[in-house]
Formats: sequence, structure tokens, C-alpha cells
Amino acid sequence: MKSSRKLQSVARLGAIAMMFTGAASAQEVKVWTLTFANDSANKAWADIVKDFEAANPGVTIKVEGRGVDEHKSALRVAAGSDQGPDIFFSWGGLGLGGEFVKAGLSLPLDKYYAEYKWDDEFLSSALSFSKQYEGGRHGLPYTFHGEALYYNKALFEKAGITTAPATYDELVADAEKLKAAGIPAITFGGTVNWHVMRLMDMILETKCGVEKHDQLMGMRVSWADEACVTASFEELHKWTSNYTLKPFMGIDQAQSFNLFLGNRAAMMLEGDWLVGQLKGENRTADFDVFPFPTGTDRLYGFAEYNYISTKSKNPDIAAKFLNYLESTEVQQKHLGDFGSISVNKNVKYTSTEPLDQKWIEIFGKFPSTFVNGDQAFPLDVTTEYFRVINEVASDNLDPKAAAAELQKFIGNRS
Amino acid sequence: MLLAPAVLVYAVFAFYPMIDVIQFSFMKWNGLNADKQWVGLDNYRYVLAVDPVFWVAFRNTLIWTALSVIFPPLIGFGLALGLNQNIPGRSPLRALFYMPVIIAPIAVATMWRWMFDPFFGLFNSLLTTAGWTNLIQDWLGDRNVALYSVFIGYVWEVAGFSMVLFLAGLQGVSQTLIEAARIDGAGRFQVFRYVTLPALRPTVTIVLILSLINSLKAFDIVYGMTGGGPAQSTQMLAMWAYTQAMQLGDFGRGSAISVVLLLITVVIVVPYLRWTLKRHEAYQ
Repeated sequence: MKSSRKLQSVARLGAIAMMFTGAASAQEVKVWTLTFANDSANKAWADIVKDFEAANPGVTIKVEGRGVDEHKSALRVAAGSDQGPDIFFSWGGLGLGGEFVKAGLSLPLDKYYAEYKWDDEFLSSALSFSKQYEGGRHGLPYTFHGEALYYNKALFEKAGITTAPATYDELVADAEKLKAAGIPAITFGGTVNWHVMRLMDMILETKCGVEKHDQLMGMRVSWADEACVTASFEELHKWTSNYTLKPFMGIDQAQSFNLFLGNRAAMMLEGDWLVGQLKGENRTADFDVFPFPTGTDRLYGFAEYNYISTKSKNPDIAAKFLNYLESTEVQQKHLGDFGSISVNKNVKYTSTEPLDQKWIEIFGKFPSTFVNGDQAFPLDVTTEYFRVINEVASDNLDPKAAAAELQKFIGNRS
Repeated sequence: MLLAPAVLVYAVFAFYPMIDVIQFSFMKWNGLNADKQWVGLDNYRYVLAVDPVFWVAFRNTLIWTALSVIFPPLIGFGLALGLNQNIPGRSPLRALFYMPVIIAPIAVATMWRWMFDPFFGLFNSLLTTAGWTNLIQDWLGDRNVALYSVFIGYVWEVAGFSMVLFLAGLQGVSQTLIEAARIDGAGRFQVFRYVTLPALRPTVTIVLILSLINSLKAFDIVYGMTGGGPAQSTQMLAMWAYTQAMQLGDFGRGSAISVVLLLITVVIVVPYLRWTLKRHEAYQ
């Protein structure tokens, strides 16, 4: 009788212990990322999470997506509390992503880089952003994007343009031909400031060249003293006055994309992710793409990263999930869902889609990159850069005064 | 003692954050690091003398406030007068006009943004159909009209709120006084001018003060419709404070702008409240 009671007690203790063990092994990894306009990316995330959870019983991956601005605000709020994500999305480089690294919110990942041999798995160009910090490697590449000019083949043909322009002068000449044919050359959404900014970034690269452009974005030379800057603002004004589908300041990039799809403008300055959106509309055959002819050997683009938070209670599992997300197997399976190319260098490109092939060709052609203005500048300067560009684009600021206005703001920074 | 719970809640959720913001306005802090640096009046100097957007936001906030204490209360009053009559469908109409108040402001913004779409939006389509193409506008993209376009959406959103307050006020007007005035030979206009309007004075005060306070806090609808653009031309003080703190990571400057907004509110609202209270006491 006594031994039976003892057995029952042991069994009860065992059951309680199992309950606690079970609770301890149920680990949750919170991922904060963006809500993707491209639906295939959203579906891919759902699949990847499901597969990872199936292969790792007891682990739950909870993905929360937000718009760009809401995501940035949520991260800032989370920074001041114990709550927050284990993994967070941000951009590569010292601008947007670097801010969180500098604030000590990103866990150095050297241990995981060695454990998972990520240096052997990733494109070195995409990895370069993780090496920019003192005290360790931060973040893991998620995507690597390039931006170029998409064009409507039928509208180009209608305007008598037979080949894609190879120089900036040819591009302007083609814009003039389109204008003469009654076709707006390009479309932008002005409410999202970064859309028109892309054109200014491209013109600066064209007019100022690599070295000067980098010095300007690094605020190492005065914007007011460089003739190429004034020339760039004048070119921007020429494009927004003569060649852009109007009105554009009151619409966003999604509305602009719909107008592009509706054959209302001939070109759109977009990233490789647009291929996914065109596929979603079954319209890839109507469009082609070429790099903006800046005359330099740099591709306009940026890397997106996933960072592990210093506040994560499960950094090992977070790293394991990131390793799975970027593994050759997963990247191969979901190729094209996040962008035209993968950051994993072992992925094989088998797509027969001409736009995908064109992007692979573009990525292969340029040995280096230059990043978007909003990722090169600190946030406050970016906001002023947006304002000055928009003032010029909407005829409220003389292009000659624009450079001085921006430099005045930079000079007043404490 | 009975007031203690309410005072405690007010102290924790309203008074403490206010003191905290005032304290932040004298500091440099990015909202990420633990390190906060005391900078004295630097943030105020920056926002008042250097910031290229502050005075645009200040001017817009004043314009918005002036318009907000005129149009939504007037429209709300007109609606309340109409819907206080014994007309068929009175209750559904009251619900219909009040409905925009309960819709999330960001949804109102999205709806109006689509109606103002320059290519496919309702307004430009109607103008095209009517043949008035010369009146077609870039409603949200032209800095000369964008603020007023957003304001139209705001009026649609909030007029129902004033209407409900005025309706409650109208129903509190003594029928005895109205009948007495009529017996004395007063016409409809005279009853309205000398009986209804004076009886509505406390309601008018409440409506105007609430409209004033809400207008100074204007944020969601501007954020959702223009994001402060084009080129910051529709920026408002409340939104600029949020942008500085939450998007640019400068909590010091964001707080300084919030404190300026608080002072504006106090400077406008307190004298008005004192004046109306004095008038109210004089009438009693």
C-alpha cells in the first residue's frame, strides 16, 4: 500500500516535471518585419515559418508585419522596454540599420557567423554591410536589391525608340521623343518622398561622379559649393517639369504603379521587386528594364538585413531560424519571391522569365553599388533632402537655391 | 478622499507624462540609448530659429484651428437645427450624420485620399463629367489647396460630433420660454435669436472649446492623407512633434515642439474659458 502511494507521488511529480519541461521547451521567436506589397513574399514567409516550426517542435515563430514608418516607430518604442522582437528587419548600412546597432540593440553575430559559416554562403557584396561596425558583425543579409528604369515596350515603340539608352544624354533625348509623341516619359508618386528622391540620387551620380557623390552624401563637402549639385537640381526640375506624368505630388508609389500598368507613362524607376508585382498582374511581357545610364560603374541599390535583438531571450533559436531562412534550400525554393536575386551565393538561377534574366545580367554587370539617399544620410538630413527635392519638383524652390538650402540645414546640425 | 482615485489616474496618465515631456524638451535623447544629455534651451532655440518646417507647421495649425472653430460647429449647428424638427426619418438621419465620428480617422483619411485621387478620384471625375475640367485640381499635391482639401475630410469627420452636442442643447431649451415668447408675439427668428441662442450658450462654449482642443491635436487625418506633404506644406505642430521624436529619433526637439503646442493651447483656451465663465456668472 505504502509503495503504491509512493509510486503515485513519484508519478505525480513526474507529470508536474514534464509539464514544466514542456513549458520551458515551448520557445517563441518574435520577428518584426515589413508588410510586403508583393503577395508572393507574404506567402513565402508563411511557408518558411510553417516548415521551420514543423522541423523544430516546441518552437513558435511569430511574424508581425508593419508599414515602413510604423515599423521604425514600433522598434523605437520597443527599444525603451523589455518587450520587443527577437529578430527585427532593417536596412543594411550605417543609416537606418546602423542607428539601432549604434544604440546597442543589435546583438553581435560573430559566433553565429562562425557556427553557420555564413561567410561561405552569402554574396560578399551583400555581406559587406555587416562588417561596417566596430566590435563585431551585425545582422544577416535578407535581400539585395537593385533599382533601374522599367519601360513600357509598346510606348517606346510608339515614340520611335528602338534601343534602350546607353548614356544620360540618350535618355534625355528619348524622354524628349516620348514627350513629342504625347507620352509622359516617367511616373512617380510624390507623397512618399523617397520615390522622387531616386531620380535625384541617379542624377547626382550622373552629374557629380562617384567620388564627389560619395563626399556629398557623407557631408564631407559643401553642397552649396559644388556646381554639379546645382546642375543636378536643374536636371531634376527639367524632368519633373517636362517629362513626368502630372500631377504626381498627390499620389503615392502604388497609385503611380497603377498608372504605369495602365500605359499612362513610359518609364518607372523601381527595384527588382517590381518583377514580382508585374508577374502578379501577368504583365511581364509588356515591360523591359535597363540600368539608369549614370556613366559610372555602380548599380543603384541597397541591402535589407535581419538583426537579432540584444534583448532576445532565444538568440540561438533566432540565429537558427535566420540560417534556415537564408539557406540554399529555402532560397532556391522561394527564388523570386523576395527579389530577383538571392543573397545566398549558392542559389542557381533557372528562371526563363526575361525580366529575371535581365536583372541577373544587371547585377553581374556592376562591380559596386551606391545606396539610396535616405540610407546614406542621417534621418534628419534625409527629411530635409526630401523637402528640398519636393520643393524643386513642385516649382516652389529655384534649383540654384536648393543646394544652399540643404547645406544650410547640414551646417546647422549640432 | 472620493476624488483620490480620479486624481491618481490623472496624475499617472496625464500629469506625469506632461512633466516628462517638459523635462525631455531640455535634453538631447534619441529614444534608443539610456544616455540623456542636458542641453538647456538648445531644442527651443533650434525649433524656433533654425528648423525650416516649424513655422510652416505653426501657421498651418493656426489656420486649421481657426477653420475648425468656424466650420464644423456651424455645420453641426445647422444639422442639429434641421434634425431637431419633427421630420420623417429623423433618427436614421441623426445616426447617418454621426457615423463619420465613429469611423477610425485613418480609415477616413484613406477614403478621402481615394476621393481626391487626381486621376481616378470622385471629385475630378465629377468635374470631368460636368465639363468643368478647368476646375480639376491636384487636391493633395498642390501646396495651395492641399491643407484645405484635408480640412474638408476633417469637417466631414467631426461635424456630427458638434451636431450631437447641439441636439442635446436644443432639447434642453425650455418649451415654456418658447411658448411664452410666442404668446408675446415673437416670430420664429425672434424666438431663435432671443430664446434658443441664449439658452444654448453653455453648449456653444463646450462645442467651441472641444473643437479648439481637437483641432490643435490634429494628426491622424493629415498623417493619413498627405503625411505632411507636399514638401511639408501641410505639416502640423502635433505631427511635426511626432515626426521629430518617433521618426527622426530626436525626443528633445519633439518634446520642445509639444511644449510649444501646449503653451498655445493654454494661451488660447484658458482666457476663453475665463471669459465665458464670467459671462455665464453675469447672466446668472
